[in-house]
Amino acid sequence: MFRFILRRTFSALMILLVISAITFVLFYVAPRDPARSACGKLCTPETLALVRRNLGIDDPLPLQYWHWLAGVFVGRDYAGLGHCSAPCLGYSFTNHEPVLGLITNRFPTTLSLTLGSAVVFVVLGVGTGMLAAVKQGRALDKIASSISLVGSSLQIYIVGVVAMYYLSDQWGILPRPQDSVGFSQDPVAWFKGLLLPWFVLAIIFTANYTRMTRSQLVESLAEDYVRTARAKGLSRRTVFFRFAWRGAMGPIVTILGLDIGYLLGGAIITEETFGLHGIGALSIKAVRDNDLPLLLGVVLVAAAAIVVANIVVDAVYALIDPRIRLA
Amino acid sequence: MSLSRRNFVIATSVAAGGSMVLSACSSGGGGGGGTSGGGVSAGKYSSVSIGTKEDSTGPAPEIPGAKKGGTIRPISPQDFSHLDPQRIYYSWNSEVGNLYIRCLTGYRIDGGAMKLVGDLATDTGTMSDGGKTWTYTLKDGLKWEDGSELTVEDVRHGIERGFASFTTEGATYLQAALTGTNDFRSVYKGPYDGKHLDSVVTDTAKKTITFHLKTARPDLNWTLAMQSYGAVSAKHDTKEKYDKDPFSCGPYRLSAHSVDKSLTMVRNTHWDPATDPIRNAYPDSFTFEFGPEALQTSDRLIADSGTDQYAVMAYSGVPAERIQKVLTTPALKSRTVDGLLTGLYYYAINCKRIPDLKVRQALNYAWPLQQIRTIYGGPSSGDYATTILGPDMAGRVKFDIYGKLAKPQGDTAKAKALLKEAGKLGQKIVYTYPQGSNDAFEKTKVVIANALKEAGFDPVVKPVEATSYYDQVQQIDNSFDVMWFGWSPDWPTGFTMIQPLFDGRVIANGANNVSQLKVSWVDAAIDKAAALTDATQANAAWAALDRQLMEKEAPIIPEMYQRRFYLYGSKVGGAEYDPLNSSFVLYKLYAKS
Repeated sequence: MFRFILRRTFSALMILLVISAITFVLFYVAPRDPARSACGKLCTPETLALVRRNLGIDDPLPLQYWHWLAGVFVGRDYAGLGHCSAPCLGYSFTNHEPVLGLITNRFPTTLSLTLGSAVVFVVLGVGTGMLAAVKQGRALDKIASSISLVGSSLQIYIVGVVAMYYLSDQWGILPRPQDSVGFSQDPVAWFKGLLLPWFVLAIIFTANYTRMTRSQLVESLAEDYVRTARAKGLSRRTVFFRFAWRGAMGPIVTILGLDIGYLLGGAIITEETFGLHGIGALSIKAVRDNDLPLLLGVVLVAAAAIVVANIVVDAVYALIDPRIRLA
Repeated sequence: MSLSRRNFVIATSVAAGGSMVLSACSSGGGGGGGTSGGGVSAGKYSSVSIGTKEDSTGPAPEIPGAKKGGTIRPISPQDFSHLDPQRIYYSWNSEVGNLYIRCLTGYRIDGGAMKLVGDLATDTGTMSDGGKTWTYTLKDGLKWEDGSELTVEDVRHGIERGFASFTTEGATYLQAALTGTNDFRSVYKGPYDGKHLDSVVTDTAKKTITFHLKTARPDLNWTLAMQSYGAVSAKHDTKEKYDKDPFSCGPYRLSAHSVDKSLTMVRNTHWDPATDPIRNAYPDSFTFEFGPEALQTSDRLIADSGTDQYAVMAYSGVPAERIQKVLTTPALKSRTVDGLLTGLYYYAINCKRIPDLKVRQALNYAWPLQQIRTIYGGPSSGDYATTILGPDMAGRVKFDIYGKLAKPQGDTAKAKALLKEAGKLGQKIVYTYPQGSNDAFEKTKVVIANALKEAGFDPVVKPVEATSYYDQVQQIDNSFDVMWFGWSPDWPTGFTMIQPLFDGRVIANGANNVSQLKVSWVDAAIDKAAALTDATQANAAWAALDRQLMEKEAPIIPEMYQRRFYLYGSKVGGAEYDPLNSSFVLYKLYAKS
């Protein structure tokens, strides 16, 4: 296990390094100049040169990247703004804050959104999928399958807006989504503020889990070992959960891990729809503002989330399925 | 949701900040059909004047029925980009700046009329030496948020900070006038090495500050109202970090700020209303919420529940999806303010590539303003523009040389006749716009091409990707004949509208004279108007030049003065439109109980 983690961590770091380099290059390939927006209305060449110097973008590209990379490990000094201690992901000049600070400030929202909706879509999705598998071919199965089909073809920016309009504005059943109150400040307000985004986000994801749980279970219920267990006289419940479900779980855990990794990188559309301030909204802002340090930061967070999720999935997979060994 | 790059070219300090002006051009208008016009208050233009010493004396006139206390909650999609006065240029920043920044002069806004008055100064200043010398006297009782006295040194320090290496975003008019060069940082590096500008003289005992300019600026009193020239105390100057935590001399001070989430301003108890003729400051606090797009905010204000009853739409107006509903529902309509932007949207004609006046005039005749406005959302999206100076500019005289008000759909027959006369039938016209910033452009290009074809032109549409649009159209050797553009004045007199756009001597790569008009009589007329020391005469000269430019040169096709509608909650009182910042006048709002 230790060797596995060590090896995977090393390769994860390599991946992040490559991604940061690619982002750096791609940013400068795009035909836009981040200096122009800080250069005033009557932008003279002298002022433009000054802005470039202020932003640290007058150095050659490899040197800029080296400065950035060095900052991650040993920190970095910014003239007039002070020291940004390691790990320094750079300074966002458009937001007047170190990138890491901005990300850690936004992360609780993204984490709340991700974990909350994961609970909802796993419970709903897997539950419905199990029912559908048990009642295979019956009305319940058909209804569940059709609902999940509709759910998976819906879009957040439609469901979200409609749900917000009716549930919050018109009928006042749920409060308007908000993330200004953290879990530690007021758990009840936190819960209420995120209820709508959780459910709307879950609508889209639930469908996937329903369909997958159903098909995996249908398959494993027909496996020889399940039939054997039943023939031995084990109870239906034991057969279902201990044998069939365990066999079906692997792929679902894999997808769940990747979904969570993906969501931790920022649910851009969901956050925009509900006006939440997570990593997704931050990445949109970075693109809009032409803010390279911030953009690099959010890209790395998203990449790290996916990479870590993959490692976790692989580890969990080995726990679930003894046939798989970590080497 | 357009990319906020150099859009401040269009929308600078004065029109709503950057990208929003651009995007609101489709979202600010009526819903789809564009034929309503029902709720549009036609001809509601403001007037601009210079106030007396009496007008400059506080306190601001009471608003009937207003009461103190409570919290007003402005909602905006975006946070302020700068809080440091010397780095403020966008109107969105100026809007909040009015709560904690004070300049020598400022605008008193009453019923849509703007009056320039002394804010920190006792009046709008004394000019001598043909506009080369300006003297201001500070009021008594001016205080910073820690209770210390605000002095002429603080005013000077604020102005000198405008030369520092980190204040590149702010206005540059005064710096250029004081040093005689646009490269003013090569002359003076700012106050941090202990040196002061020789050209700014302060007298602490008399409380006076005198500016000795290299170039005459009879309109400096207007320039000094820009927050780029706001006072900063040297003692509390944290340089680069000041942008995060500015020190207040206005009625409110910063109490909490979570970047891009929220900002709270609370009462500055050391502010004395007797010194302030502009600001009322009824609420105890302002809590800004950042994030929700205009559509969401509109829905919240329409629903009008809970604390949203104290909310106002800041920065972006009611979008196209809701404007019809808002204008046709009396209960909602009564909770709006609206007004025009002072800036102008127009199509610049490249005079270098289209040197024939008749062709430029034919373009003006042919341009299908009505069809364009319908795409933007109809009459509620704004008024047709026929002049360079907008309706809210001092001394502006309305004219309509190309009959656009009588025939807003375009007079293609007349255009064709002119083209024939010039022997230019079939003239190729390369039209460009920023692609990807706004869907409306994809529709307007069709009606424009149709009208041009009908008028005997050969239109070629060549869009440029939005993020590099300005870089490309601002190249001297570009390949475009007609370019969509926009410009906002920095104060409401002709100079900031006409000089940057039509002075032939400023043509350069990256400059804003994209029409590339280089005519000696225009340059001479600009110099003459800029040097007139009598405000009334100067205004008249700018108005005359406005007309002559359109008549004799036709370097642009004026498009629209855009209109904005902003909703406010049912428990908000004192709502008034700020024509200069195209927003609410925040310091006049009050919370009803």
